[in-house]
Amino acid sequence: MGEIFKPGANLQKGEHARLSSLIGAISLADQVKTTLGPRGRDKILQSTGRDLSVNVTNDGATILKNMVVSNPAAKLLVDVSKTQDAEVGDGTTSVCVLTGELLRAAEELLTSGIHPQTINAGWRLAHGVAQKALLDSSSDHGSDAAQFKEDLLNIARTTLSSKILNVDIEKFAQLAVDSVLRLKGSTNLESIHVLKKLGGSLSDSYLEEGFLLDKKIGIGQPKRIEKAKILVANTAMDTDKIKIYGARVRVNSIAKLAELEAVEKDKMKKKCQKIIDHGINCFINRQLIYNFPEEIFAQAKVMAIEHADFDGIERLALALGAEVTSTFDNPEVVKFGECDVIEEVMIGEDTLIRFGGCKAGEACTVVLRGSSQHLLDEAERSLHDALCVLSQTVKETKTVWGAGCSEMLMARAIEDEANKTPGKKANAMRAFAKALRAIPAIIADNAGLDSADLVSQLDAEISSGSKTSGIDVITGTVGDMTDLKITESYKVKSSMINYAAEAAEMLLRVDSIITCAPRERKNPHGRRGM
Amino acid sequence: MGDSQKGNAKEKDVRLSNIIAAKAVADTIRTSLGPRGMDKMIQKADGEVLITNDGATILSQLQVFHPTAQMLVQVSKSQDIEAGDGTTGVCVIAGAFLSACTSLLTKGIHPTMIAESFKEANQKAEQILMGVAKPVDLAHRDSVLDAVNTCLSSKVVHQNADVLAPIAVDSVLNIIDPNTATNVDLNDIKIVKQVGGTMDDTELVHGLVLEKGAKHTAGGPSKVKDAKVALIQFCVSAPKTDMENNVVVSDYAAMDRLLKEERKYIIELCKKIKKSGCNVLLIQKSILRDAYNDLSLHYLAKLDIMVVTDIERSDVDFIARTMNLQPIAHVDEMSADKLGKCAIAEEVSIAGSTSRVVKMTGIEKMGKTITILMRGSTKLTLDEADRSVHDALCVVRAIVKKRYMIAGGGAPEAEVALKLTEWSKSLTGVRSYCARAFAEALEIIPYTLAENAGLNAIRMVTELRNRHAAGDVYAGINVKKGCISNMWDEHVVQPLLVSTSEISLSTECVGMILKIDDLVPVR
Repeated sequence: MGEIFKPGANLQKGEHARLSSLIGAISLADQVKTTLGPRGRDKILQSTGRDLSVNVTNDGATILKNMVVSNPAAKLLVDVSKTQDAEVGDGTTSVCVLTGELLRAAEELLTSGIHPQTINAGWRLAHGVAQKALLDSSSDHGSDAAQFKEDLLNIARTTLSSKILNVDIEKFAQLAVDSVLRLKGSTNLESIHVLKKLGGSLSDSYLEEGFLLDKKIGIGQPKRIEKAKILVANTAMDTDKIKIYGARVRVNSIAKLAELEAVEKDKMKKKCQKIIDHGINCFINRQLIYNFPEEIFAQAKVMAIEHADFDGIERLALALGAEVTSTFDNPEVVKFGECDVIEEVMIGEDTLIRFGGCKAGEACTVVLRGSSQHLLDEAERSLHDALCVLSQTVKETKTVWGAGCSEMLMARAIEDEANKTPGKKANAMRAFAKALRAIPAIIADNAGLDSADLVSQLDAEISSGSKTSGIDVITGTVGDMTDLKITESYKVKSSMINYAAEAAEMLLRVDSIITCAPRERKNPHGRRGM
Repeated sequence: MGDSQKGNAKEKDVRLSNIIAAKAVADTIRTSLGPRGMDKMIQKADGEVLITNDGATILSQLQVFHPTAQMLVQVSKSQDIEAGDGTTGVCVIAGAFLSACTSLLTKGIHPTMIAESFKEANQKAEQILMGVAKPVDLAHRDSVLDAVNTCLSSKVVHQNADVLAPIAVDSVLNIIDPNTATNVDLNDIKIVKQVGGTMDDTELVHGLVLEKGAKHTAGGPSKVKDAKVALIQFCVSAPKTDMENNVVVSDYAAMDRLLKEERKYIIELCKKIKKSGCNVLLIQKSILRDAYNDLSLHYLAKLDIMVVTDIERSDVDFIARTMNLQPIAHVDEMSADKLGKCAIAEEVSIAGSTSRVVKMTGIEKMGKTITILMRGSTKLTLDEADRSVHDALCVVRAIVKKRYMIAGGGAPEAEVALKLTEWSKSLTGVRSYCARAFAEALEIIPYTLAENAGLNAIRMVTELRNRHAAGDVYAGINVKKGCISNMWDEHVVQPLLVSTSEISLSTECVGMILKIDDLVPVR
């Protein structure tokens, strides 16, 4: 046979391709599965890049995102996890593990000679049943504010229990719920600002109502303003330069040069005056403010804050209800920010500026303290996950029981349905159920429990009609979730199953893998490519 | 039960290597703990040498590679931020906790369980420490002084403690209101280091010290009474526009005219400066153009104005607050109300060296800042003195933050160890085991203190334990006499915050190291 593909390209077919994709996905799932559950462990991510930076994390999405993966199926798994992260923010590990377990179950079916499409057909049935069972088992307290808040707290506790923040879980659960409730239903987490400050311990973290900005107030300006009227701007406060390359002035005497300098200064002075004429008492600029304008502001008793970074200024404008301005000729159309008080506060060794009582009431800042940067980074990720889930739950108020309860309910429903289904599809459905059961088993395994025993006990409970039984990992027994209050968001669960089922189905349909020839790297400078 | 684990071989390997790496770091600095601790000489990559006893400094210079070792370095940094002192102690404790963990792990106890039990033990430990702490009144200067002396006793500069300790205490007490303050901004204390003389010449200046001498090239004054100080941010030199400019010279006469014009321009500037009543001029450094030139210095000298140049922009804030002046960014904005006033501004030469400083004292309406003029015979001792004084300031700050003190000399650790062991007996299951290991690990502090002092560590620690069991809660190791004695009577005391944060930070860090089961290479 002649050459069909370019040299370097590769084609894997049939069993070979299927096996390679299945194994790739399963082994990746196995990598992350030890992080699952309240007794899950963390991983060190050691960067092989130039900076050799180190990350310690328990977050599936973070691990998967950074891993060096070359197997195409494994890459797909990473993508699924990323989608879950973008969509709901939590359950990123679970979705990956469930996909892996589904494929593991499929492998068995394949070796016993069942066609992949038959498996898919069965899975689709099973998936439908699972979603229905999940919906049936969910409860909705959206209309009852007190009960709903309790639900949110439970969800926060469940989410945080597997993360680093479980050291002070009550505090952080409360903190996350408080900040999400401030958003009043919006899922825009932008207004929750997370500030990391080294020093202290995690328990010293707190929720600051208002906005904290890690900047300094200009010299000689008021350090505290009440009833602030704030102009947020992005404008050059060094000099208004003519932005034409090579523009220059030619003079023939020093006096003229001095005149020009005076004109430049005068221009800046006018600009400052224009800004002051807006009737503001606080001016925040994204760019530098030079000494000269700073002095003018100080004279006018205007607080001027320079060099607020880009991300910071957007957030700040949002929190203060201001619009970022860059021209100052029309004071009547400018939207000013307002807040009750601006003052300096000290955290650890640093002085920060606090904007209290902001116009947009949802703005708040979570100040995280911790003994190391790794800890802080991980704490931020954990908190972010919790905030995502909570904000999603505020929108979709249904909740389900966690700790394997809902998985087992779904598995049971699928098996009941499978018993009524004739043909090979029933086998595929049972495989789906088996994969779902693997999740509580892994959680139990991570805690060093006898998973086989516990899962069968739980299954017996569920089969005999209980709708609220789950595994209590702490005591290692089957417990009632209404007492343990392990609650999860319906949305997270449902999308986890959706994505996992879709990804597994897609991988199963694969019958050949074509690897393109790697692009030739030209090395004109003699540098060696990767 | 949910508190045991069935790990695989790889998991154990990773965990063990993590623990070994972190312990290696802890062991490196263990010998520098306590009044008889030794110093380390660090040779930096650029050949510079550093001698220090300060844990945070040693660790920040160590180029550790292993991820968990890096975490230990960070813990020490965090302790530095939180309490300022005890940076060595925190690592030593973390190291001891990790050794305790190794034996707990081999028993098959689940790492998360250990972390949780440690956390509980930590809370209990804080309660115990609170129980043996005594409240301090900041007005009572002597008790604060004792704490600072304890801190300095382990440093290179301990023989100068009687000079440095009062300086540290006074400087902090000067910039805060003792009744209301809950924190101290150490940026309000400026440390000016000058080589020359000995450390005993270090002084506290109620005023401002600038690290540079006045400009003399043109014969300006070097001592001004009733000084009116202006801090200018504009340049006293030929004009320059922000746009690029060329001055076109077409003939000889034009050149002459240019020179004349430049002179005129500068005279005009100087006159305006003089007109505001200013007689001491501080000029901020400029990178865009010359902040001054010979011509301007000459005219300023003629007008009897003392000039100090090259003020860093980062210092402007401090100077402005101290002198109660407004920096001036344009010559037309010069006015008398923006000047700072002080009784005397003079240039002082440092004995034993050629360098000079400008001192301004008797400042009118002085801000809540203070300056320490530090002296030392060599740069190495000076740097180490700087670090030690920083630690001392932090100790005072820690007392301001949390106004309690406890005994030093390993007394609190021994007490916590004893009480925790008792408490652990009231627990059941794994928690009890972990709490006991936690308690025992804390004895590393008295043990190391004794060991570093060349005492029989085992005899000392057992005797200490004995005394504590007999109810002598303040018994600690008296390193100087080599016996166990009451630390309050010996005036060996330290802020409560240092001890509590040592224990809680190391617990937190150990918890994190324990939970790790894999090392994944990423891009």
